[in-house]
Amino acid sequence: MKSFSEISLKNKIFFSILAVILIISVAIAFLARWILISSLLSELELRGFAIARTIAEHGSGYVLDRNYPQLLSLIFDGAQVKERKHLIDYIFIVDQENRVLSHTFTHAFPDELRLANQIPANDNKSVRLLAVGKQAAYDIAIPINEGLYRIGTVHVGLNKGHIENLVSKLRFTFLGFISLVIVIVFIVSHRIAKYITRPISRLTEISDELSRGNFEIELDRGSASVGWEPSDCPAYVNLDLRCSHFDGSLGSGEGLHSAPTNMRMCQQCVFYRKRGGDEVAQLADSFHNMVWSIKLYRRRLHESEEKYRSLFDSGPDAIFVVDGNTLGIIDANPRAVELYGYQKSELITKSFLELSPNHGRSHGISFAKETDARGCVLYQKVLHQKKGDKPFFVNLNARHISLKGKPTIIVAATDITEIVEKDAQLIQASKMKSLGEMSAGIAHELNQPLNAIKMGSDFLTMMMERSLEIPKDQLQLVATEMSIQVDRAADIINTLRAFGRKADLITEKVDINKAVRQVLSIVGKQLELENISIRIELAEEISPILAHYNRLQQVFFNLVVNARDAIKAKNEIELQNTGGLITIRSHESGSQVVAEIHDNGTGIQEAVREKIFEPFFTTKEASQCMGLGLAITYGIVKDYGGDIQVLGREGEGATFVVSFSSAA
Amino acid sequence: MLLCSAWSCGQTHDPKMSHEKPPGVTDTEIVLGSSLPFKGHASYLGIETFRGYMSTIQHVNENGGIHGRTIRVIAYDDSYDPPMCLVNTQRFIVEDQVFALFSYVGTPTTLKVLPLVEEAKVPLLGVFTGANALREPLSRYVINIRASYYQETRVAIRHLIEDLGISNIAVFYQYDAFGFDGLTGVDLALKDFGMAPVARASYVRGAIDVDEGLNKIMASGAEAVIMIATYEPCANFITLAHQRGFNPIFFTGSYAGAEELARRLAPDSNLNVIMSQVVPPLEGPESFALLGSAAEYMALLARYFPEDKPNGVGLEGYLNARVLVEGLQRAGRELTRERFIDVLESIQHYPLATDMIISFGPTDHQGLDSVFFTHLENGRFVLIEDWKTIREVLKREGAIREAPASSLEGADIHEKLQ
Repeated sequence: MKSFSEISLKNKIFFSILAVILIISVAIAFLARWILISSLLSELELRGFAIARTIAEHGSGYVLDRNYPQLLSLIFDGAQVKERKHLIDYIFIVDQENRVLSHTFTHAFPDELRLANQIPANDNKSVRLLAVGKQAAYDIAIPINEGLYRIGTVHVGLNKGHIENLVSKLRFTFLGFISLVIVIVFIVSHRIAKYITRPISRLTEISDELSRGNFEIELDRGSASVGWEPSDCPAYVNLDLRCSHFDGSLGSGEGLHSAPTNMRMCQQCVFYRKRGGDEVAQLADSFHNMVWSIKLYRRRLHESEEKYRSLFDSGPDAIFVVDGNTLGIIDANPRAVELYGYQKSELITKSFLELSPNHGRSHGISFAKETDARGCVLYQKVLHQKKGDKPFFVNLNARHISLKGKPTIIVAATDITEIVEKDAQLIQASKMKSLGEMSAGIAHELNQPLNAIKMGSDFLTMMMERSLEIPKDQLQLVATEMSIQVDRAADIINTLRAFGRKADLITEKVDINKAVRQVLSIVGKQLELENISIRIELAEEISPILAHYNRLQQVFFNLVVNARDAIKAKNEIELQNTGGLITIRSHESGSQVVAEIHDNGTGIQEAVREKIFEPFFTTKEASQCMGLGLAITYGIVKDYGGDIQVLGREGEGATFVVSFSSAA
Repeated sequence: MLLCSAWSCGQTHDPKMSHEKPPGVTDTEIVLGSSLPFKGHASYLGIETFRGYMSTIQHVNENGGIHGRTIRVIAYDDSYDPPMCLVNTQRFIVEDQVFALFSYVGTPTTLKVLPLVEEAKVPLLGVFTGANALREPLSRYVINIRASYYQETRVAIRHLIEDLGISNIAVFYQYDAFGFDGLTGVDLALKDFGMAPVARASYVRGAIDVDEGLNKIMASGAEAVIMIATYEPCANFITLAHQRGFNPIFFTGSYAGAEELARRLAPDSNLNVIMSQVVPPLEGPESFALLGSAAEYMALLARYFPEDKPNGVGLEGYLNARVLVEGLQRAGRELTRERFIDVLESIQHYPLATDMIISFGPTDHQGLDSVFFTHLENGRFVLIEDWKTIREVLKREGAIREAPASSLEGADIHEKLQ
């Protein structure tokens, strides 16, 4: 047998009501029956006594007078009055010797009655149940007194059958009534139980359907839902439209006040309901609202997901979903597949680090949580390899998120190879321009070894013409000197060639002192020609940095040229040619390798100091340059993770401090 | 077994046993009980009734009885006293063990025993009363023969109003069950005409003092007085009224006893007394032709009670006995109370006399519906054959003032009511 808690609510209500009513009914039935029957019995008995007393009172005279016809008439009247006819079985009167004076029997007087119920001497009444023929009767005896003495007795027989008949009629009526009540209660409680539980069952059904994902289920049974279409809701159709009912709690007060224009409110919400009615109706409404809310959210989520999915699928950047712990690729968008040349299945088996040469170690990409305010990390100009180890540059944008409870990184890789190449071309162009500017100096520089060789060869030619013996030591000297001059010229040409060459993609360990010297070897003579002396204070030993020689040469070249321009500008302003001085220092401070280029030129105004590294900014005449020199310098230094600062006040000359991380 | 048989022997009133041997029926005898007034103010009625039915019964017994059984009637005097009648009836049932009760006289007496009769399921045949209580509600064991008082008063009042043009009608009645029954009949009959009695006066049963009632009625200016009373107070009332110069039309019913009333009123023979009767009057030569049986009654009465004079009351008793004999005849040898009632109910269109046909049915326990009207002329009640004549007579005597509007054509000798 099932325990009470396991049966349905409907049956609980139903059986509870039924049980209570049954118990009450049975209790009432018993109580009422007891009260009614006992009172009925006593009432009937009292009636019997009343009749007997009346007869005793009226009959005493007739007994004394021996007027038996009147006595008989009296007891017949007592017994035969219509209503009493059934109740009273018989009446008889005996005298003090118990002789029967009158009786109402229509047959011979049953003699056993005569003495069957005698009144005790000390009492004035007596009731006994007697058998009269086939029937039973309650014999009520009342004395007939004359003064103190008894002259006879009235016996009134109450028909037990009639009493029982009345009682059973009463019982039957009562039982019928109770049965009727129970039947009515049965029906009523059944209906009540059904009324209460039907909506709950319905809600359970709906809930089950929703759990299975069927959100198209009809929510309402009532007529209120006729014409109910989700597209009727503006918030359902237009996702940008916020719904006060469903977004109100999310956006709290902020949403309402800060963005009132977005918060277009419907005059009356078609779907959100709060009707009157009992708790069941309210529950149904609440449920309806909840389902509608879920529906709306699901739709919004779906739209949003589609939106981002399309971003993911068709965005211009390669996007990877990377496991936060192992850095394994979990997902990649089609653009990533296209960019890297791997199949998606191949990508997914790789670690993200495998995409870069040396597994990214050289780039220091760890995706450690060195994030900015938006939770993003930006790695610029990271070298990645396509399938087949073809390198290319990307900017990596990483963001830590939590996906399915696990730390995950979303990495967007933007292909910047083209930009990097354009940069290189720009740098190259700038370099060529600088070389052009320096060509006089370079020519002069080359002229010196050429002149020395010319002088040496002229000397040898003259000595040959004069057929003069050339002393061996002199010949030795001339040959050595010529060789030195050729080496020097070749050196210059090599430097120029190296300077003019485009840089490789891969950085190398570079000695900045060497770069400084190489630059000076090109421009040194030019500066001397322009009456600018150079002081070199390079550190003896200095750690290498990761860079390219020719780019680093360009940095120093640009800075030196800039210093020369500042000095020339100062000379023009002051209309005199005082000796210009460019001091180049290098030293190591901590892990930083620092180079300083100081000049005693015009210096830089405070106001433009912030702008000097911006492209196309120049203090010089427009025809003279494009204003790209320092911008390119800045770009190169930043590319190598270095820094460039400018010190010094206007009129005191300027000092450019270039610092790089040591690669040692 | 012995006990068992003893027990079954003890059940003498077992239905099956009684079916074979009902009370009051032996192989040679059928015993009947009859309670009548042989003494007192109504003794005339009792005596004449007794003589009337005994004429028939003695005649039957002398001729071998019915199906080999003679009829024995036990008659007790009740002096027109209901308790006495009750005692008699209980005695008939309990001690005398009669087969049936027969030819009781008197309304209050008979009404008193009615519950007893019903309880004991004893047939009661032929009562000298037209009381409605014996007819409604229908009791299986009460078989009436004569027309009811209601019928008598209804027809009488119609004649008074329509034929004699009287509208002021007073009632003088006996203050008991009989009187009330009659009074109700008068009230009902008058109500049909939209009228009510102008005065109601009563007297106590057995008393002869009618003074008070007479004063009341005289004061009302009644043109007619309907008297629901036995012959003695009737006679007193009429005589006293006449002495005081109050001469309305006096109407009385069959209960008064025509011959006795006529005898008592003989000195004032030109009084305006009209009487309804349920048997045809024996006076007057024309009546003999009407009722063939009357001759037989008179012959039998002359034979068994030669000192008596034939009268209407006796004739009723005689007719009762005729019905009794017919019922017993039809019931046959296997006589039981139930069978007797069934047989009586089956009697249809049985001619007691040439023009007196009785019919009963399961819902009709009254055999006759005839009412006859008589007028007191020269100390005799004479059948009214034409109400126009009566009107002329009454007009001449100043009892009625002027002719009524309606025509008085086609008056009947007697009325048949269905």
